Amino acid sequence: MKVPILKQGNILIATIQSALTDQDLNNLQNELSHQVSHYRSQGVVIDITELDVMDSFSTRTLRNIANILKLRGANTVIVGMQPDVAYAMVELGLTLPDIKTARDLEEGLILLQS
Amino acid sequence: MEENGKPTTTDPSLMNRMGLDQDEIARRKAWLEFTLEDETRLLSLNEMAQGYATEVIEALYDHFLAFDDTKKFFENASVLNRVKNLQKEYFLRLTKGNYDNKYVEERIKIGVVHASIGLDVKWYLGAYNFYLRAVGERIFKAFKNHPEQALEAYFSLTKLVYLDIGLAIDTYIFQREVTISKQQEAIRELSTPVLQLREELLILPIIGAIDSQRARQLTEQLLHAIRDKRAKVVVVDITGVPTVDSRVANHLVQTVDATRLMGAVLIITGLSAEVAQTLVTIGVDLSKIMTVGDLQGGIEAADKILGIHLEKNSDQATSSN
Amino acid sequence: MESYQVSIAIKTDTDIVSARQQARELAKNLKFSSSELAGIAAAISELARNIVSYAKDGTIVANLIEEKGKQGLMIIAKDTGPGIPDISLAMQNGYSTSNSLGLGLPGVQRLMDNFEISSEVGKGTVVTIKKWVVS
Repeated sequence: MKVPILKQGNILIATIQSALTDQDLNNLQNELSHQVSHYRSQGVVIDITELDVMDSFSTRTLRNIANILKLRGANTVIVGMQPDVAYAMVELGLTLPDIKTARDLEEGLILLQS
Repeated sequence: MEENGKPTTTDPSLMNRMGLDQDEIARRKAWLEFTLEDETRLLSLNEMAQGYATEVIEALYDHFLAFDDTKKFFENASVLNRVKNLQKEYFLRLTKGNYDNKYVEERIKIGVVHASIGLDVKWYLGAYNFYLRAVGERIFKAFKNHPEQALEAYFSLTKLVYLDIGLAIDTYIFQREVTISKQQEAIRELSTPVLQLREELLILPIIGAIDSQRARQLTEQLLHAIRDKRAKVVVVDITGVPTVDSRVANHLVQTVDATRLMGAVLIITGLSAEVAQTLVTIGVDLSKIMTVGDLQGGIEAADKILGIHLEKNSDQATSSN
Repeated sequence: MESYQVSIAIKTDTDIVSARQQARELAKNLKFSSSELAGIAAAISELARNIVSYAKDGTIVANLIEEKGKQGLMIIAKDTGPGIPDISLAMQNGYSTSNSLGLGLPGVQRLMDNFEISSEVGKGTVVTIKKWVVS
């Protein structure tokens, strides 16, 4: 399923749905990379409010996305992580150390603008 | 343990858990002056007992069924049948001699059955009185030409019945204690509430020891509260935690990480310098944890964090003080 | 409870999503906390992904189980892939999530109560995990 990406000024907002396959994530990586270049976006918010599972693959991919976008001049913020997903992640030993996080879309946008 | 009325007394260690060992039983028998002579006397009553066992049990349960307070437990035909059969066995056992650990276990078992269906102890003990009268009558009839023998037999029976009553009471108390400790556990869980101090600021003062299960439960509670209350900062105070070892510290680190993933900040207060030093020495990485001396200091630090955030948005309503 | 078991063939990455969704649904029949369910889903995702990445195909079977009065969920991830030459290496902590070739197995072990793995080079791998309901 394609992840919808909205443009809001110089920020892109990607909203992830719950049934996310590996392919969807890979596609997202390509799409964001392409759009950030195209629109010269300065920030990307990835909204994972609907995501109910995070494993090593999705973690790696999100980190890759953040790194790639940084190379293209955009900062990434992950928002809306569910409490149970956060807990399962730390138990798996995954912490997303180099990516900014925020409570929700609103906070994420504020963070990107600061 | 007991589950929804299903007794789980095939566990032999139940006797031990109740503090009943061979020595304890011996002490009780001595107290009741229950001797080998009593045992022999009771054995001699067995043949007679076989003859009227069914009659007595039927009368006992007719008695139970005649009163509103006790009728309701035996309305289910299969429950009634089961307890009648158990009770008959019990009754005959009174005169079979050999009142050893196995005997005690059987007594406890039947106590548990009645406790677990919710039969109040006063009705259960009242049933013993019924026994003594029903059997007493029959003993005196059978020994009518030797009343002193009848009295001796009757006394032996009362001694044994009192031993059994003691066990029945123990069983009820034990079940009650199990329920209480379960309730205490539940209270402990509920009494570590996550408190909302102000908008976007939660505090969680932890009191008491933290084992792995409690740690997990606290973290879950905390993370859910962060989402539900839309918190940005949480202050966790561990002054009331008696032992902060590496396990507890690692749980704290996990909680800090999970909080950050949700876009919030966790501040730990009440971690003394000595404890921190010890943890670092044994290799716990505390660098990720933001610690501040005491709860008040933690709240001040939290306000600062929230305040910094506020400066960026002058149109947002002020939330501190 | 209508069913005690689900069996999912794992071949493509959409099967990974299927596996964790179906197993999660099955697990909901027991009194797991929501965070335990998230953990179960993550563990299954890891195991299913290993099958897709390394073995090309296999199966995930999820069962509701009961042992000594405890209730729980058992997952068996089986494949006939190349096998893991050095299991102890794969189970080492650093050799997992940050490494792109990682199998995520230590993490799965941490999330679950019981973890068993057997593997033979050229034959395949079986991972059995169990999670018990805390009563």
